[in-house]
Amino acid sequence: MGTSTALRDLQRDLENKANDLSKLQKDIAKNHQVRKKYTIQLGENELVLKELDLLSEDANVYKMIGPVLVKQDLAEANANVRKRIDYISAELKRLDATLQDLEEKQNSKRDMILKLQQRIQSLQAGKAKA
Amino acid sequence: MAAAKGGVAMELEKMSVEQLKAIKEQTDLEVNLLQDSLNNIRSATSRLESASSALHDLSLRPQGHPMLVPLTASLYVPGALDDSDKVLVDVGTGYFIEKTMAEGKDYCERKINLLKSNFDQLIEVASKKKCIADEAGAILQAKLKQLSPTS
Repeated sequence: MGTSTALRDLQRDLENKANDLSKLQKDIAKNHQVRKKYTIQLGENELVLKELDLLSEDANVYKMIGPVLVKQDLAEANANVRKRIDYISAELKRLDATLQDLEEKQNSKRDMILKLQQRIQSLQAGKAKA
Repeated sequence: MAAAKGGVAMELEKMSVEQLKAIKEQTDLEVNLLQDSLNNIRSATSRLESASSALHDLSLRPQGHPMLVPLTASLYVPGALDDSDKVLVDVGTGYFIEKTMAEGKDYCERKINLLKSNFDQLIEVASKKKCIADEAGAILQAKLKQLSPTS
């Protein structure tokens, strides 16, 4: 009698842990997606910076704001692009840290689930014998 | 290279059928992704090349040359070509740079070369992955044959 309630508790615990694990995996997948987007933007901004660096002081730079092309100062455009690059790099670093944290949690959850499954199996084997 | 491939083949030999299947599926997915990227690069390169030839054509036209200006995809209005020595180049993230015709052509050339070198790098990676996928597939076939000799 005692073993079957213990068994049920363990199985409920297993279900909970499995749900947690799938949520962690979804979070990791989302992290990858956001990371991909930021990496693409970073690459694009670096290309723009390279182009701007090749320009002489008097070249005209325009920025598209909505449907309007607005003339921009070269120095200002440089500063803006550099700021954006710094921001994206910081975001990527933050995402890296989050990803590592999530992966550690995922691994420890997997270990817990494995141990739970082993306990359940041994309990069930014990019940069958008895 | 041969030693590395031999090493990989030995690793694959040691694995079970299940693991081999998983590895083959994963490498196949990766090869597909790489192929998609290669196709993207190819289409981007061809777009740049047509931009470059359009530029070249534009440089041949004299100022004041009559032309049709597109206002929408189906509406054109007649106009005359202004100074064709200045071009606006879209460099990305919403920035446009005014360049001379020569600089514009140079820009297209630079971008095309960049894409070509990326393409070459990708092809190398893709063919290595394809090798691994083929190896895994072959070893998988061999193992399956071993397991069912009565067929």
